[in-house]
Amino acid sequence: MVTYLPVIQEPTVFNILAYTSESADVPAGEWVDTDPLAIEASKSQQVKMRSFSTDVHRIEAMLVYREFLVARRLTFNVLFYGAHLALFAYGWHSQETNKKLAGLNSLKFSVWVSRGAGLVLALDGGLILVPMLRNIIRVVRPRLAWLFPADENIWFHRQVAYSMAFWAMVHTTSHYVNFINVERTQIRKQTAQQIHYTQPGGITGHFMLLIMLLMYTTAHNKIRAQCFEAFWYTHHLAFFFMLGLYTHATGCFVRDSVDPDYIKTFPFYSTDHCLGYLSWRFTIWPGIIYFGERVWREIRARRATRLSKVLVHPSGAMELRITKPSFKYTAGQWLFIQIPEISNFQWHPFTITSAPEDPYVSVHIRQVGDWTRALGERLGVGPSVVAAMTSAAMKGTEKDSKYGITRGDFVELDPAVSSITLPQVRIDGPYGAPAEDVFNNEVAVLIGAGIGVTPFASILKHIWYRQKKGKLGSLRRVEFFWVCRDAPSFGWFQSLLQEVEAAQADPNFLRINIYLTQKIGEDMLWNIAVNDAGADYDPLTLLRSRTMFGRPDWKAIYSQMRQAIESGQYLPGSTSQLKTKVGTYFCGPGVLAKAIKEATVENSNAAVDFLFAKEHF
Amino acid sequence: MGEFIWHQWSRFVSISATIYAIWASFFGFFYRKFFWDFVGGTLRDPGGLQPSKNVAFFITVIVKVPVVQILAMILGFVILALEMPLPMLKQYSFYRSFMLRIVLHLLEAFLTVLFYQGTNAALWSIITALCYSRAISLGESMAEAKQNRGRDGPA
Repeated sequence: MVTYLPVIQEPTVFNILAYTSESADVPAGEWVDTDPLAIEASKSQQVKMRSFSTDVHRIEAMLVYREFLVARRLTFNVLFYGAHLALFAYGWHSQETNKKLAGLNSLKFSVWVSRGAGLVLALDGGLILVPMLRNIIRVVRPRLAWLFPADENIWFHRQVAYSMAFWAMVHTTSHYVNFINVERTQIRKQTAQQIHYTQPGGITGHFMLLIMLLMYTTAHNKIRAQCFEAFWYTHHLAFFFMLGLYTHATGCFVRDSVDPDYIKTFPFYSTDHCLGYLSWRFTIWPGIIYFGERVWREIRARRATRLSKVLVHPSGAMELRITKPSFKYTAGQWLFIQIPEISNFQWHPFTITSAPEDPYVSVHIRQVGDWTRALGERLGVGPSVVAAMTSAAMKGTEKDSKYGITRGDFVELDPAVSSITLPQVRIDGPYGAPAEDVFNNEVAVLIGAGIGVTPFASILKHIWYRQKKGKLGSLRRVEFFWVCRDAPSFGWFQSLLQEVEAAQADPNFLRINIYLTQKIGEDMLWNIAVNDAGADYDPLTLLRSRTMFGRPDWKAIYSQMRQAIESGQYLPGSTSQLKTKVGTYFCGPGVLAKAIKEATVENSNAAVDFLFAKEHF
Repeated sequence: MGEFIWHQWSRFVSISATIYAIWASFFGFFYRKFFWDFVGGTLRDPGGLQPSKNVAFFITVIVKVPVVQILAMILGFVILALEMPLPMLKQYSFYRSFMLRIVLHLLEAFLTVLFYQGTNAALWSIITALCYSRAISLGESMAEAKQNRGRDGPA
């Protein structure tokens, strides 16, 4: 077991050598590589490597990252857990020193702990909805991006939830002790069961625990991945959970009178004798704002929306073109889509692939889940139809071939021509980061890794529109990188790239660099060797730009770019007095982001300023 | 996305219920109380709740000696060993049995419902048992561990 590893910034190979006995033969030159694994920053920093077993032994290889002490994470931990502990201490102290509550204080530690934990839970109950205020986050994000990672809202939501589970355990445990002691000492003439199951505090408490059981278990990564709907529906129990939270203290358990001092007017108990923390006065606001946001989203989604066209690409992706005049967005954002005919309640997130200049909003949907497959069936392009199209396209892979369809072609489902009717759609959004500041740089480096390439469809189109209108701002050149395991699975994106590439009048404006990281088999190698030589188009992507194999060396790429800019070759006519701004926009896994960021920092100097933005888009 | 696999979800519910049961029985050692003592019991001040004579047996095994709590805790650890799972259990076929899990959970529910701290654990255990029955009725099965696939003998 290796217990210490340095912080690794680059792709790294781990060779695991396990001895079973001192005299064992060590095989030489028989190493088997696993597939490359990216470690996502927001995930739990655990990566499982290849495991193997012999008749006697079993070796499991796992790489665990502890990001705990990285400066930013450290700051978060200190603030977040510090605030929790401070509130706990305050809650404890204010209970212990409250003369009016001398009766309750005879229960000693258990009541101090329960009150402290209760106050902490109020904080968590207030915070849990904050990262879910999507519309508000979208508005405040550009201004506050420096202060907190607004992109990491789900991550933050989870941290609050974990904290909530822990403090709920502390709070509940201490209340079980409280109530049994109330019964034994008879400081109130009640049994423990009466407090648990007949008073508002007890009823709402047990109810909230049950809801938490259902919500937490269905929110597990595994369940969410296999059946998103189960998670989605169960998570709406949050509505009842929040009601329970706001009414948890209405039973007036914390009081200095013999009986609860109920009154006729809101909040139906008198604050003269009911001495709780009244935390609902604060925690209810995120709840109200969230509820308002959901209502607003519903209203906005009901505005006139029409599905005007569906294009089916041979790779199986369906392109929905939707017209909604009230929908305003910028390149790189995403939306929720709902098709009532398939499901009345489900909203599914998709990246917008059209540019704001397009007369429609488009999304590309691959048939991978039950909802997307149902949509495929509804449009008459179920898996069998797509498979037939794909094989036809594979036959006609050569771009100049006179017969069949090629990978770049698509079939249009137009209700005016065919007998297919298009379903009603509703969209909600946009959400996520606008990439408008691309135009403030002289050079924009756009890097998409794997599925992270989707937002760049919209951004590239948008840049192309602006180029046509001559409104490029200070943008002079665009470098587009696509790092991908196997490009052909993103056929629709290739066809989009083909369009953009073909439309370039200035060959130096846009450069497309595609890196394939998958291992190449012998067949494929020969295929490339035979087809590539002398062809106008790359055999894999059908682009003029050649595909490169292996992982890009970011440091070399950036230092070459810097040298080219410094020598004046890269941007003809640029004067060296002015600082050249090169903005990098990245969407993909965290490790790659780190490597690229390092390269940008390393290569920045007085003449060239490399900026880096990791976007979740 | 796709089909909801009941036994995989049940496992998470089961783990939550079991950890609750273990924690509850741990506190049950220190604050011993028969949950159903209010049935026929009288509330006295001072003195607290005096259980009825009819439940003297439960008072003996819960309050005088915490037998039920100890059993619930042991059973909790057994279930946890099965669900987490303990590596050496993977090779046996009972590890993949949902019926065994249902029986263990019903037993756990029976034990935990008897003492004061255990009622939620009992409720959650029943939910787990229901989920596993749903998995059985849908004909779900657990994949056999990789290392004993294709092996002879009683796997």
